[in-house]
Amino acid sequence: MDTLRVLIVDDEDDFRETIVKRLNARKIQAEGAASGVRALEILKDKDFDVIVLDVKMPDMDGIETLRHIKKLKPEIEVIMLTGHASVEFGLKGMQLGAFDYVMKPAPLNELLDTIGQAYNKKRGLIH
Amino acid sequence: MRVWDTSHLLDDIPPHKRATAEHVYDPADSQANLQQIRLHFKQLQTRLILGLVLGFLLPNALLSAYFHFQFTHTLKESAKLNLAAVAESQKNTIDLYLQERVVNLYNLFHSKEFSLNPTQEQMDTLLASLKHFNDGFVDVGFFDTRGVQIGYAGPFPSLRSADYSGESWYRNLLTENKSYLISDIYMGFRKIPHFTIATKQVFDNRTYVMRATLDPDKFYIFLRAISQGKEVDSTLINHQGLYQVVDPGRSQLPGTGDYIPPATSASGVEEFERDDQKMLVAYAWLKETPWALLAVQPVAVAQAGMIKARLVLTVSLIVISLLISAMIYFTIKKLVDRARRMAEKGQQLQEMLAHASKLASIGELAAGVAHEINNPLAIIMATSGVIRDMLNPEFELDHSPEAIYKELSVIDTAANRAKGITRKLQDMGKSRVPSVVACDVNVLLDEVVSRLKKVEFKPKHIEVISHPAADLPPILAEPEPLRQVFANILINASDAIADKGTITITSEFREDTVWVTIADTGKGIPPENLQRIFNPFFTTKGGGRGTGLGLSIAASIVKYLGGTIKVNSIPGTGSSFTILLPINEQAKTTIKQHDN
Repeated sequence: MDTLRVLIVDDEDDFRETIVKRLNARKIQAEGAASGVRALEILKDKDFDVIVLDVKMPDMDGIETLRHIKKLKPEIEVIMLTGHASVEFGLKGMQLGAFDYVMKPAPLNELLDTIGQAYNKKRGLIH
Repeated sequence: MRVWDTSHLLDDIPPHKRATAEHVYDPADSQANLQQIRLHFKQLQTRLILGLVLGFLLPNALLSAYFHFQFTHTLKESAKLNLAAVAESQKNTIDLYLQERVVNLYNLFHSKEFSLNPTQEQMDTLLASLKHFNDGFVDVGFFDTRGVQIGYAGPFPSLRSADYSGESWYRNLLTENKSYLISDIYMGFRKIPHFTIATKQVFDNRTYVMRATLDPDKFYIFLRAISQGKEVDSTLINHQGLYQVVDPGRSQLPGTGDYIPPATSASGVEEFERDDQKMLVAYAWLKETPWALLAVQPVAVAQAGMIKARLVLTVSLIVISLLISAMIYFTIKKLVDRARRMAEKGQQLQEMLAHASKLASIGELAAGVAHEINNPLAIIMATSGVIRDMLNPEFELDHSPEAIYKELSVIDTAANRAKGITRKLQDMGKSRVPSVVACDVNVLLDEVVSRLKKVEFKPKHIEVISHPAADLPPILAEPEPLRQVFANILINASDAIADKGTITITSEFREDTVWVTIADTGKGIPPENLQRIFNPFFTTKGGGRGTGLGLSIAASIVKYLGGTIKVNSIPGTGSSFTILLPINEQAKTTIKQHDN
């Protein structure tokens, strides 16, 4: 089994770095991007299996970034991360092709579960 | 749904500004709106009904009037022609009757009984032969050349030998070329009304005259007989207006008529008054004698058919007009009622919508706040998870105290951030300890205006007119929030004015309330916006110049002081905000309660 590669896109440095650290500890190859623009730059050089994308970010928000990702690499599964007490943006992301959404703050297990499901789906599609 | 990034709002709003999700809702406004709608539809209904009734009935009435006029004219003419025909035919009959009587008399000259010196027996025979032709003959007389009646037969034997040479009819007959003469009715020697037919005949260059008298009663009966019983009153009249027939039994000379026909035309029809009754008279001058036949009929009788037709026409016109009016009235009433109900329902829906949008904006504010707090919470949860991971040997992470301290400080930072947000929210919701003093509203207004004149009013040509009330009592309140209320409304007034305009500030005191009215000559507020202007975040100022909180804050400050804000606006003309601040114990206790 290949190593699961995950990109965390969130402008909250503390949150992003902590999550990356925790995923790495669980043998997941995780990397962080501080903005949507940065994420797209990284995606040009590297491949990922799952991207966790925060909805509300300055400059380019999660929905906009999702559109670009789906144009650039449609096979990557995207999980929307929303701190907004509303499911609306999560649902909007799913309409645009996101795999699922997770509400902030969420326990790591929930995030890991969703990442795992997304990964399985991707592998099912490819293999 | 909009996303409220409340963090910048928290930074923007100084703590003393109380921004709540309330706005001043005046139920009287809703009633006023409904009343306005009802008034509008009532006016519409009146206009529609009047317009349609006039539009339908006016042409109808004009057309009816035209036809009525034509109809009346035609019927009047035909009544006249009818009467004229009666008069003409009766005239001809009478002419013929008189001609026959003349011929009867004339024939006596040629009868075998005739002699220039008639005996009484001969005269009696002559009278008998006359009576044979017509029983209207009363007597007969024969005159010698001197004018003395030398022969007479009839009921007045005393007339024999009477000298008639002085009588006008005798002289006229002799001097005129006509061989006969018919006199008017006169009393004569016998002192009873009669008329005479006289003929002359020349024997041996000497003129002899034969004369017969006709009974006016018989003539009257004849005239009645030919009147055809058409409610036409026929009579004969001479040039002087004297009747030439008498009613039977009236022995005196007949009276003078009330109508004398013109001698200039042979016949005609005219109207005249008799005993306050309009009469139609047709006249025809006789050929044989200067009498006119008058056929008289009351106008009411002559035009009875027309009057009846006119009555039917008028009644049916009124009935049809009433029917059409009633139809129009009920149809329009029904339609306008339906439209009014729909408009009222629309107004209610609009108010419900405004209420719903107010609730939605509270929800949006809450959602925005929740988002802001969720971010640090997510950091705290993730970081505490990392520390747990560090302490788990399975993950082989650096679990030195330094590393754990570092993660704990991340948690502290995030927790502080969340605390900051809730602190600011508390500040928004709860005032800091207020310093309530007696505020002179006029002074506060002056301060605010002079401050605004330095910055906000400067780029425009705004004239500020103040009408401060002299007897204004002080208001127990914090001066700064009150200044804020006035400033927010004045800034809005200035923003509403494009370049040049006037802001009028009036203060007055009545009913235990200070009224401050700020009126501008700006662009006004569209009615659809009027119910939303007190909602937080509602703004029409583009380019990020407005937060949509100014009026919301002003409304909550005023409400807090126990007052209310009323708005009047005419789009294109200007807006007027009236701030009502009560001077009552309730306001003071509210303030004191808040102090505690």
